[in-house]
Amino acid sequence: MQLMEIKSNRLNDSYFYGKHNSGLKVYVYPKKDNSSTYAIFGTKFGSINTKFKDAKTGETLTVPDGIAHFLEHKLFESEDGDAFKKYAKTGASANAYTSFDITGYLFSCTKNFEESLKILLNFVQTPYFTEKSIEKEQGIIGQEIRMYDDSPNWRVLVNLLSALYQKHPIRVDVAGTVESIAKITPKNLYDCYENFYNLNNMTLCIAGNIEKEKVIEILEGTIKTTPPVEPESIFPEEPYEILKDRVEQNFDISVPMFQLGFKEKAEKTRPSLHKIVETEILLEIFASKASHLYRELLDKSLINSSFGSEYFEGPAYASVIFSGESQCADKVAEIIRKAADELHQNGIAEEDFKRAKKAVWARYVCTLNSVSSISKTILGLSFANWDFFTALDLIAESKLEDVENRLKEQLDSKNSALSVVSPLASCE
Amino acid sequence: MDNVKTYQICEGVNFNSIRETRFKTGRISITMFLPLANETASQSAILPFLLTRSCGKYPDFTSLNKQLNDLYGASLDADTDRVGEAQTLSISASFLDDRYALYGETISAEVTDLLCEVLFYPRLIDGVFAEDDLEQEKRQLAELIDSEYSDKKLYAKLRCEQVMCKDEKYSINPLGEKKEVLALSPQKVKEAWERALKLARIEIIALGDLDPEPILACLKKAFSLIEREKPCDCSTEIIKIAEKAKEVTEYQDIAQTKLVLGFRSSIAGVDKNFFSSRVMASLFGGTPHSKLFLNVREKLSLCYYCSAFYERQKGIMFVQSGVEKQNIVKAKHEILNQLEQIKKGNFTDEEISATKLNISNNYISINDSLASLDTFYTSQSFDSKKYSPSEYAAEIEKITREQIIAAANATSLDTVYYLTSK
Repeated sequence: MQLMEIKSNRLNDSYFYGKHNSGLKVYVYPKKDNSSTYAIFGTKFGSINTKFKDAKTGETLTVPDGIAHFLEHKLFESEDGDAFKKYAKTGASANAYTSFDITGYLFSCTKNFEESLKILLNFVQTPYFTEKSIEKEQGIIGQEIRMYDDSPNWRVLVNLLSALYQKHPIRVDVAGTVESIAKITPKNLYDCYENFYNLNNMTLCIAGNIEKEKVIEILEGTIKTTPPVEPESIFPEEPYEILKDRVEQNFDISVPMFQLGFKEKAEKTRPSLHKIVETEILLEIFASKASHLYRELLDKSLINSSFGSEYFEGPAYASVIFSGESQCADKVAEIIRKAADELHQNGIAEEDFKRAKKAVWARYVCTLNSVSSISKTILGLSFANWDFFTALDLIAESKLEDVENRLKEQLDSKNSALSVVSPLASCE
Repeated sequence: MDNVKTYQICEGVNFNSIRETRFKTGRISITMFLPLANETASQSAILPFLLTRSCGKYPDFTSLNKQLNDLYGASLDADTDRVGEAQTLSISASFLDDRYALYGETISAEVTDLLCEVLFYPRLIDGVFAEDDLEQEKRQLAELIDSEYSDKKLYAKLRCEQVMCKDEKYSINPLGEKKEVLALSPQKVKEAWERALKLARIEIIALGDLDPEPILACLKKAFSLIEREKPCDCSTEIIKIAEKAKEVTEYQDIAQTKLVLGFRSSIAGVDKNFFSSRVMASLFGGTPHSKLFLNVREKLSLCYYCSAFYERQKGIMFVQSGVEKQNIVKAKHEILNQLEQIKKGNFTDEEISATKLNISNNYISINDSLASLDTFYTSQSFDSKKYSPSEYAAEIEKITREQIIAAANATSLDTVYYLTSK
């Protein structure tokens, strides 16, 4: 296989990209002076992909909630032992994660890179699911779920999504529930594996002290080419409107937390890269520490430095989310909603736009400091066929009018929901 | 330590330059060390937050942050923590390297000035900190202290430390006490600021592609106006052996029981044997191939996490896990049993080499992050011999089976803490 050079003239940086015959996308980002190398092997498969058309039979399959995360745990085991044991011999630090739309297997190392990469490629391509090993994992993941049950930080997001969305599976917790994972069978796991772990649906990203030739050589020896599969997830039609505008849960905590989400009209796929970049500039203008909004909330003693905003988007869902701690979350929501309405009315000042653009530009450039950030970011972009340097160019070339146009489709205060976690009444 | 150049600005104030061209950002941090003490913890704790909120030149939060945004979103971060029993007050700036400015600006020089501005020329009204700034930061620090209660894993660890080190300075929260924070006056905080500049041991680190000269000049000028005194003693009390293990149970409305075991390791600070304690703790519970992971999690399916962590400065080790309430005894028993196995030497040479490889991998990776390098070197401020990450990894390589067994046998259980539901 061949990897071609992708260059950024603005940064004088470059990386290599190529597509293997199997459909696997491969990215190599050399960083010559780095001590460590990071690799991630990921699939476009997360907690939202619970209903899909089986590539083999054409039948529509529905699998239990939390299966992507469960599969991630189980893939580490194979007939000849656990992948962690193999990594133990190379010294690599290995891990994996499952999000709403991605599962990634990764390691970072300072020596024995080739051996570690072979381990990664081999175990992810070798599923081994049995009744017995599934049962063992139910205890471990059960405790992981319980741990998240005690996390107000996590619950406040999950609750928000279940208020914003009426039908989309983004409403469901990534790990599922103790009850849903109890229903998982080896067949469910193999069904998911065969559809979503086809190399045509996967990406390998490597960043660090490596040469691309070495990577190609290892790939040629380890990739098991199977006929390409184009997995077809089925998402219910999601109405524009939110389900409910407020949701609350009580916890044994002392500072209440909130998340306020503004839902927007979502396409079948992710929003375009243009839209993502423009939204980030918009949020920097609207809610960063330099904004009028931040100042107003601070002066009224309503927020602290945990306040922040993000563009939360993926296949068929997109929202802007503000989060933080506040003694009076409802008041915060009222002020943000009002500020959003005013922004729609008054537009954006040129100087605010210029400052925000510089800050967002720098944030993207900083991603390139760390091999893990590079790999994770490129992985996410690759699943939508985007390139990191294009994102940088879009920021550098963005114009105030673009951001103003973007604003027209966003921050609709009438389509927003507030999620609050509050202290128990008895703790007051 | 070849790549670190150290300059003494005045007694107790060092400037360290670590020049690296491969990062796209620069970082300058100033850390002030003061002894942890009940009387002063709260008034000192608030300083980094208050100082980074505004300054004489940018007298309000918004004007300061607009300036930072204009400097390509440079960040000015405040943090209060501890190293051993020293309270650490730090202010750090992270910023885009000048090479990447879209319109040719020089970001680093402006950020250096700004950093000196906030530390030495704060916004004072009638000679003391402005009331409105202080009130805002008091509220936010109180909320930060409260938020430790919300993170149950963290909270259980903090409570275990407090119970275990009840009569030691280590039990003092470096963030201070909420009640005292809320009672702070502008005068008191002004005095704390002056005291810190005069008496604290101060370590400044510049990392990235930064010419040390102009930064050093800027700092020298600022410090020349301070009447420095002999820096105060920040030593840490080490208790080598636990007398009798305590058990404490506390209750909250939570789903999963958090279990924390605190041990005295008897090896601390500059004792060179600390490398063996580090390897022992990691073999015990620091990796996915450690004793605790393989037995408590994988074999018995009792938990999702069960890990051990060695704190060299204080010479203590903690094991943390989250389990179902009915499994508390089983989990504790297995954790202690695994430590016994190490004491008896029941581990293979493969386990030793895997553990060493993992630790050395983690240390060498520190080279790739400015923030990690900063923390790594700052934590060695009181050591006579300073190691680079690679030198550290080389010391780990030398540790033998006998040293690991000795480190395990020197470890004694001090406190078992449970946070559970009624």
